[in-house]
Amino acid sequence: MRKFGLHFGLILACVVVLLPPLWALRTSLVPESMSYSTEIFPAFTLDNYTGLFAKNRFGTFYVNSLIVALGSVIVALPFAACTGYAFARFRTGGRFARFAVLATQMLPPVALVLPAFALLRGAGLTNSLPGLILVYSALNLPFLTWILMGFFEGVPVDMEWAAMTDGATAWGAFWRIVLPISLPGLAAAGVLGFILSWNEFLFALVLSGPQTATIPVSLAALQTSNGVQIAKVSAGVVLAILPLVIASRFIQRFIIQGLTFGGVK
Amino acid sequence: MASIELDRVSKIYANGAYGVRDVDLKIEDGEFVIFLGPSGCGKSTTLRMIAGLESMSAGDLRIGGRSVNNVAPRDRNVAVVFQSYALYPHMSVWHNMAFGLKMRGVALSEIDSKVAKAADLLGLNHLLQRKPGALSGGQRQRVALGRAIVREPEAFLLDEPLSNLDAQLRAEMRLELVKLHRRLGRTIVHVTHDQVEAMTMGDRICIMREGRMIQTGRPLDVYANPADTFVARFLATPPMNLIPARLEHEGEKLVVRIDSETSVTVPDKHYLPYVQKAGGPITAGIRAEDIYETRERPDWQRIRVKVVAVEALGAENILIGQLGRDKPIEIQARLGRHVFAPVDSMIDLYVDVEPMHLFDSETGKAVARPPLPVGR
Repeated sequence: MRKFGLHFGLILACVVVLLPPLWALRTSLVPESMSYSTEIFPAFTLDNYTGLFAKNRFGTFYVNSLIVALGSVIVALPFAACTGYAFARFRTGGRFARFAVLATQMLPPVALVLPAFALLRGAGLTNSLPGLILVYSALNLPFLTWILMGFFEGVPVDMEWAAMTDGATAWGAFWRIVLPISLPGLAAAGVLGFILSWNEFLFALVLSGPQTATIPVSLAALQTSNGVQIAKVSAGVVLAILPLVIASRFIQRFIIQGLTFGGVK
Repeated sequence: MASIELDRVSKIYANGAYGVRDVDLKIEDGEFVIFLGPSGCGKSTTLRMIAGLESMSAGDLRIGGRSVNNVAPRDRNVAVVFQSYALYPHMSVWHNMAFGLKMRGVALSEIDSKVAKAADLLGLNHLLQRKPGALSGGQRQRVALGRAIVREPEAFLLDEPLSNLDAQLRAEMRLELVKLHRRLGRTIVHVTHDQVEAMTMGDRICIMREGRMIQTGRPLDVYANPADTFVARFLATPPMNLIPARLEHEGEKLVVRIDSETSVTVPDKHYLPYVQKAGGPITAGIRAEDIYETRERPDWQRIRVKVVAVEALGAENILIGQLGRDKPIEIQARLGRHVFAPVDSMIDLYVDVEPMHLFDSETGKAVARPPLPVGR
């Protein structure tokens, strides 16, 4: 009986979590006219998907999002790795520096968006993908730094010492030993950074233009003065979730794999 | 030439505490030296300062006569074997061993032959393609050693390399290390808290406590002539019995009086060095193996002990008993394997007083006397 209660509770929780995305999937596959129908699956069509790409230039925005999300990870990750390692191994800046990095995450994004806009305009980078990449890199940096710091703290210092007596410089030990060992951590941080950038809306809305909009912005644009095209929005949501589902599979594997050392004891 | 000289070397931490204090030591080329002490005594810190992995706060360090105070670890030409082995988990055994040579720009063909030679020496040939994760503890230990050997460093610094092995493997590796030292003839500094390793492996042991080097010497010399009560207790299992007593005149002789009924007489040849302490409190140090169940020499002296427990170890029995009536002191005696006594019974034991040490009861320092001769 207790087991039944437990399972019932767990199933209920799963339904609560999964129902909205499942309903979005369902709505994306029915004609716009039937999208508010109470029937579970009144009819099947792919028009919403084809329409998104044909009429709403969804392909462009999809590529924009990919470029911006990947670009920001590629820019931010090396900086985050170096900063995280400095914090973890050399206690650079002490506790204050660690906290200061974290504190930037506590500011409401809206407080940063106007200064960011002013800076980008000064540099002539508004309405451009490089501008967005730059801003997302800056936004991701503190978060990635903290994640990587945790991973680097888990690397036994003995290994670096061994490398250094073996003839490596401090940088050599970091590059040849610490980074390869921390690959799962780098991957996990990269995927998390990708997800953050992929989902970001506010900065993209303010800083991008018609040619450089990302998926969240383009989805919001489907709410027109003529009403919300809910079936198309659903199709967009399903497409937007897709890379995240794939990324989550990855990150799960890496985080579970974590740091499995065979090098010590 | 790879002598290692430490000249008033100290390590002071940010909070002002001393990790290592004024260590003076000269390790000769090819010598096998043991740093022995309890955890936190500064022995590993000293080793890391020699390797250059930890900065020195004061003092001078010379390797092969060259001052290396400001020389990076990679330029000191020493190899370190860590307690955790610190193998690179993402590299195969071959790459682990080759790493140091690669870093030094050695040609690939030469690396190959050196790794093969070291692998041969340590019996690692069939494991070269494996990753550390797929090795047993003993194998990892050997890989760590191999990684040190291939580089042919001037000195090996071993930081408790055997402490993660089981007892049997540890005994084997002890022997292996001694053989290796004989074969390579290089300077070895071996850090341990295991007194068996200390007694059996090194040419010389350096005993550390609270950051200071309190005694150095050949193992048997240190064993026979401990500088203070700490060394006396630390360097033996069971530890030396330390018995609070008073040193008194009794006629022509000196007597260590433990209580109103129990006393032992100081041998005549130790009268002169000890007489200065007469009339005051003293700590008498008697090793467990200097207490016997029968009197085999007339100068051995009887003590009466109440049996607390007998630990039968197979080859010998350790008797734990209480000595003295007023304030009983627990002592341990190493007796023959046939000696059993019921718990709570009284038993007569005989003390060979010649090796007995007297320590200052305040400072714990040994009262100076001519050193005991050591057979070897």
